[in-house]
Amino acid sequence: MTIVGKSKRSPSFRRNRWMLSAILFVIWLYTILPLFYVVVSASKSNNDLFTTFGLWFSSDFHLLQNIHDVFSYQDGIFSRWLLNTIGYATAAGVGAALFSTMAGYALAKYQFFGKRLVFAIILGAVMIPQTALVVPLFLLMSKVGMVNTPWAVILPSLVFPPGVFLMRVYADDAIPNELIDAGRVDGAGEFHIFSALTLRLLMPGFATVLILAFVATWNNYFLPLVVLSSAEYFPVTVGLAQWYATATVGSGGGAALFTLVLAGALLSIVPVIIAFIVMQRFWQGGLGAGGVKA
Amino acid sequence: MAVIELSNIRKSFGSLNIIGGVDLRIEDGEFVIFVGPSGSGKSTLLRLVAGLEEVTSGNILIDGEDVTDLGPADRSLSMVFQSYALYPHKTVRGNMAFGLEVARTPKAEIERRVQAAAASLRLETYLDRKPKELSGGQRQRVAIGRAIVRDPVAFLFDEPLSNLDAALRAEMRIEIAKLHQRLGATMIYVTHDQVEAMTLADKIVVLKDGAIQQVGSPIDLYEKPANLFVAQFLGSPKMNVFEAAPVNGGLRIAGTGQLDLALAQAGVTKVGARPENITVAAAGQGNIDGKVDVVERLGSDTYAYIALGEGELVTVRLPGNARLSVGETVGLVLDMAELHLFDAEGKALAKI
Repeated sequence: MTIVGKSKRSPSFRRNRWMLSAILFVIWLYTILPLFYVVVSASKSNNDLFTTFGLWFSSDFHLLQNIHDVFSYQDGIFSRWLLNTIGYATAAGVGAALFSTMAGYALAKYQFFGKRLVFAIILGAVMIPQTALVVPLFLLMSKVGMVNTPWAVILPSLVFPPGVFLMRVYADDAIPNELIDAGRVDGAGEFHIFSALTLRLLMPGFATVLILAFVATWNNYFLPLVVLSSAEYFPVTVGLAQWYATATVGSGGGAALFTLVLAGALLSIVPVIIAFIVMQRFWQGGLGAGGVKA
Repeated sequence: MAVIELSNIRKSFGSLNIIGGVDLRIEDGEFVIFVGPSGSGKSTLLRLVAGLEEVTSGNILIDGEDVTDLGPADRSLSMVFQSYALYPHKTVRGNMAFGLEVARTPKAEIERRVQAAAASLRLETYLDRKPKELSGGQRQRVAIGRAIVRDPVAFLFDEPLSNLDAALRAEMRIEIAKLHQRLGATMIYVTHDQVEAMTLADKIVVLKDGAIQQVGSPIDLYEKPANLFVAQFLGSPKMNVFEAAPVNGGLRIAGTGQLDLALAQAGVTKVGARPENITVAAAGQGNIDGKVDVVERLGSDTYAYIALGEGELVTVRLPGNARLSVGETVGLVLDMAELHLFDAEGKALAKI
């Protein structure tokens, strides 16, 4: 594409491009620096961590030893935490994506009394920070005896208002009404139409909500901190924070925990990156191509 | 096979009336076409028959059974949509089989029916393709195949050809006509294209503003339109209409003041003449004089647009080799036997 007066060679284009690149670079740096710091620090011995330059590797590459220590400290409770986090995040991600997809589809494609109100409430719920809900959720959970069980983390995480909003907008666009009508004339019930015909077209949206909800639960700290008390149920976030607290409070032996916290943090990022790569294939256009004449 | 009866069907969205009291009986095996301009309610009426919309009041009967409160799944109808509405992630086979799978038809029977439908629609080699790998005409044939395999009591078509290009449309029109001959099934077909209506229908239902204007065979409607709307809607190029006033027991075509017709009828305010019922003669020799404005040569026919006194254009259909030049003054001869007379409300009046 050529825009007159803004050709590739024009000075204004070059200036613009240079500025945009500079801004992007700053953002990139801002994103990558903490990650880089975690990688570098996780590879140091506890002594090097405090004595060498923070943003570069020390001569003593200690990463594998640190990882080994992380998995063996306190009888290897870290792997338990990691599995907990994977479990919570997967359950919450899949559940939230499924509920969001169903709700979004219903809001996009059905006419029912109170639809606008329901949607307005969901939009409103997007504005409420999770943190504000933690204390009421704790009281609720303690009433039904779910405090200090995995349900206390999973159930609240299934509610994901941004996902509903996203899926409503997506379903509106991705599902032609005539397709639903065709299913109805073919004799299929509404749930059958959803599961056999339209869900497939909603998969890119579903995958998006899945990954968003997955990451949100993966990173969630405050909710599990409040509702869980046994270390065996902790997700990685709470567990590492506990180690960190021990490291800062305790003198002597406690300080050695800093490298474990950093190595643990590094390890906790890896599955998320894998999840992103795996989910990537769902973000593709053209799923509905050929179904209806545009 | 089914007789479909609509009695006093009304449909409104809020305060907006889409269909205002339609009564209609569709006989077994009849090919009925709902035709009308956009906004006439023809598609809504079809969707009401399909069960995709709920009637506001009135009853729909299929073979005497009241299906008004039944959903589309329980009406045993098939529908072909304007946009094809194929299931994009399913193969051609999967698209056709879906309705049968829903009905829990045995696998072997599904395969047999899909094969039969595919053979009749020349789709056998495409059974394992996805819709996006097919051309527009093939997609619409798949949609028709999906309708056939279910062996419905009646077929509903919602403007099935309007997304196809002209050549393909003519081809598919013939296929649909053959399909009707072969299956002998009741079919309801919605279109805004009067050519499709004229060529396919056993019975045409002309709709305007949610009300039936006239019901009848194509030729009946063409030769004896009930009102000015039907007269002008059917036929291409459309019927010429002249303002008229009774004078001395005859008719004077207003606007030109040059013509007296020996047809007396009280209340006639408009006279209609189809383009093929007007011929051209030398100036002064016809009922009315005009100047040739535009000449369109189609090869088989020539359409001449003749300007009358006030710039009003009259369309005349002439043989392909008619000699006419633009700017020439000619006389127009109206075929008295084929004139249509209308009153002030546009209602057709009998000739005397």
